[in-house]
Amino acid sequence: MKNNKNLSVPKIVIVGHVDHGKSSFIGRLLYDIGEIQEEKYRELKKASKKRGVEFEFAFLLDALQDERDQGITIDTTRIFFKTKKKKYVFIDAPGHKEFIRNMITGAASADIAILIVDVNEGIKQQTKKHSYLLKLLGFEKVIALYNKMDKVDYSKHKFLDIKSKLETFLSKIGIKSYSSIPISSRKGDNIVTLSKKMGWYKGFSFVQVLDEYKIQEIDKSEFIRFPVQDIYKSGDKRIIVGRIESGKIKSGTKLIFLPSNEIVDVKTLEVWPKAKKEYEVGDCIGITLSDQIFVDKGNMASDIKNPPKLTKRFESRVFWLSKKKISFNKKYLMKINTGEYEVSINQIKKIIDVESLIEKKKINVEKNDICEVVIHSSELIPMDDYAFNKSTSRFCLLDEKEIVAGGIVDIRNYPDQREYKDNSKENIIPENYAVGEIDRSIKYNHRPGIVWLTGLSGSGKSTIAKNVEKRLFQKNINVFTLDGDNLRIGLNKNLDFSPEDRTENIRRTAEVANLFTKAGFVVLVSLISPYRSERKKARDIRPEIFREIYIEASLEECSKRDVKGLYAKAIKGEIKNFTGISSPYEPPEMPNLVINTSKCSIEESVKKLEKFILKEFSF
Amino acid sequence: MQYNLKKLENESIYIFRQAFRSIPNIALLWSLGKDSNVMLWLAFKAFLGRIPFPLVHVDTGKKFKEMYSFRDRYVKRWNLNLIKGSCPPINKIDPSLPPAARSAARKTEGLRKIIKENKFRGIIAGIRRDEQGTRAKERTFSPRTDSGTWDIKNQPPEFWDQSNFNYPKSVHIRIHPLLGWTEIDIWEYIKCEKIPVVDLYFSKNGKRYRSLGDEDITLPVESTAKNVDEIIEELKISKTSERSGRKMDHEEENVFERLRSKGYM
Repeated sequence: MKNNKNLSVPKIVIVGHVDHGKSSFIGRLLYDIGEIQEEKYRELKKASKKRGVEFEFAFLLDALQDERDQGITIDTTRIFFKTKKKKYVFIDAPGHKEFIRNMITGAASADIAILIVDVNEGIKQQTKKHSYLLKLLGFEKVIALYNKMDKVDYSKHKFLDIKSKLETFLSKIGIKSYSSIPISSRKGDNIVTLSKKMGWYKGFSFVQVLDEYKIQEIDKSEFIRFPVQDIYKSGDKRIIVGRIESGKIKSGTKLIFLPSNEIVDVKTLEVWPKAKKEYEVGDCIGITLSDQIFVDKGNMASDIKNPPKLTKRFESRVFWLSKKKISFNKKYLMKINTGEYEVSINQIKKIIDVESLIEKKKINVEKNDICEVVIHSSELIPMDDYAFNKSTSRFCLLDEKEIVAGGIVDIRNYPDQREYKDNSKENIIPENYAVGEIDRSIKYNHRPGIVWLTGLSGSGKSTIAKNVEKRLFQKNINVFTLDGDNLRIGLNKNLDFSPEDRTENIRRTAEVANLFTKAGFVVLVSLISPYRSERKKARDIRPEIFREIYIEASLEECSKRDVKGLYAKAIKGEIKNFTGISSPYEPPEMPNLVINTSKCSIEESVKKLEKFILKEFSF
Repeated sequence: MQYNLKKLENESIYIFRQAFRSIPNIALLWSLGKDSNVMLWLAFKAFLGRIPFPLVHVDTGKKFKEMYSFRDRYVKRWNLNLIKGSCPPINKIDPSLPPAARSAARKTEGLRKIIKENKFRGIIAGIRRDEQGTRAKERTFSPRTDSGTWDIKNQPPEFWDQSNFNYPKSVHIRIHPLLGWTEIDIWEYIKCEKIPVVDLYFSKNGKRYRSLGDEDITLPVESTAKNVDEIIEELKISKTSERSGRKMDHEEENVFERLRSKGYM
């Protein structure tokens, strides 16, 4: 049979401040559309009477004794219902203390989001926090319900007032209000049918809005993402099982497996009792491969044109669920797709106050905080950016026996660390140099070397390099400076400041420096080179003569100096990918020398580096 | 297959495979009812025709004879590795429970025993959220502390198909691959995949069983539905709940919560 989207059952999550009427709304709706079974109704009536209340619709969802006794929702629940046109599932997300944990649990799988606000009370803390979490979970629009209209005499003025306040807030976080409906759960106004008491309201009832709602289409992009869930052996067949997160797979599809970078064809599709010709997003399938390559649980298979990035470092927006504070010294277990990795949190970039939407003035991340962090892994992790592919860019962090956080990946500013299989070398046989390096060293009376100066823009790299070069030259050292900006005028003029091009910029510079050392030179390299991983690659070309010098100066100091006027532009947003502002800088962990230019004068800095070079490279 | 069923099927298969790779020593509870037959079928799909862990039937000794003969027939036909467990007599069960619930609680004890004997770390159960209010609050992977108790107010977070499997050895995990299915989904899937079920579900003399439990605490409901198609049509307009024929559900308001927090499915 042909796939029919209309037959899918949308999941609706309903969020809002505690006591703004989430559970009551659902109960009322179900009652009004005749979805409460008779005996259930009798049971609820009994439960209500026992607690001395009028019929309580919320008890339909609040099934636990404590929930009924205390009149609150403790844990997320689900309830199925159908309108005249469609079937749905409701997810009720509690608004009280454990709300983030339970709300995320409920809302993460939802297709439609409803935000409910008590018009009498207005926008409250959790109204804002829930909205922010919805955005984090990928929602771009909500159906806004303005509840308890009966308590404000169905006042149009009151409705418009709260509506304008809510919409101002929502627009700040990038959520659109798909529809705004004034309702009363208690009286049933505008839920199934339009209310006579609000003649001024010209919109539709909730059920009408819901039945017309268009769900965001699943991303059916051509990019294949197939995380390896497990490997089953059947006879001599090795069957790789997993769920297609995007794209389509059939026999003959070419896949690249990460992190190994092996490319193979899909040989057969394995599904019981009988496989179809092709499978797509959401399908759980098995495959066998044309060649026996090493594949492990947690690997990611992708199409070969647009594979995910491989990286050991990335930024992330995280919601923190645990009572334990974030620790930099701890190893966390990160689960992303079907993979598990040991990671550490290196940096907290900021903690976001979801009410004011500005940065919180505090250092420790505590329970229910939302923050931006930098995460480091010792292994390469295949991952996508959240903006590119939602389902392969979400993860959770575990601390021993507890899920402590969930987060989404931001790797726009980090380079792909893939080691491409280089086939070009096959037919290339390098010629030996006629004059050896040692011959040159003896003639020049010093050894060659690469002195790699890394640091923020404006930290003083070029100034120091220039002066040191002059002084070494006077001492008969064969010395030359490779300056980042100068190289970008010529050799690197086709490169921009994207993470990938920065990587290539560093690679070329390192290779040129290498050539100079073959010619017997001491090469000073003055390059921001923000990524630890890339500097390591540069070092690996000639580790025995590579020296990493960290030219240290704080971001504040550098932007105060702003010799080239670049920081001013970057802060205004005129320059994209500016290191330190909109792009990361990873200071060296074990530099051979640190020169702090906030503390040392230029003169002192130059002398310090000169002395270091003479010691390292003279005979 | 309908898009909706395909989606549910995929979700269940994913859960099965996640459970198998993440939890050592698991077993599937086969109660012989329609839901657990669907679950068994989904396990065949998940593991490509061969179920790599045992099935468990916690036998109260009071099931319908049709259920026993169904069990014995399909154990052979499907070549199943079945562990049969027995339940303690009623006088060993908490006397403060109302009679039918007390009888049902025998199964909790039987299950506890079998988990202990076989050192199971994961138990796959075919409960669904639409059956009952406290089941609606379940997680897909739900930890049960040492004695099988369910800590309702302190359930772990579960999102983006990520769950915690790292618990102390004394904890077992309840695995719920059918949570998102509804009664009508189950029947539509049975129809689509031609999955066998016990005849008791079909109307005889104007009555049929909608949900199967112990013979003495399960009542048939009025129905003329004689086959799967007619059941589906009946459910589309039915106003009574699925478990209306299960006596234990109606004895006291909180009886199900009491049973479940002690380890009932």
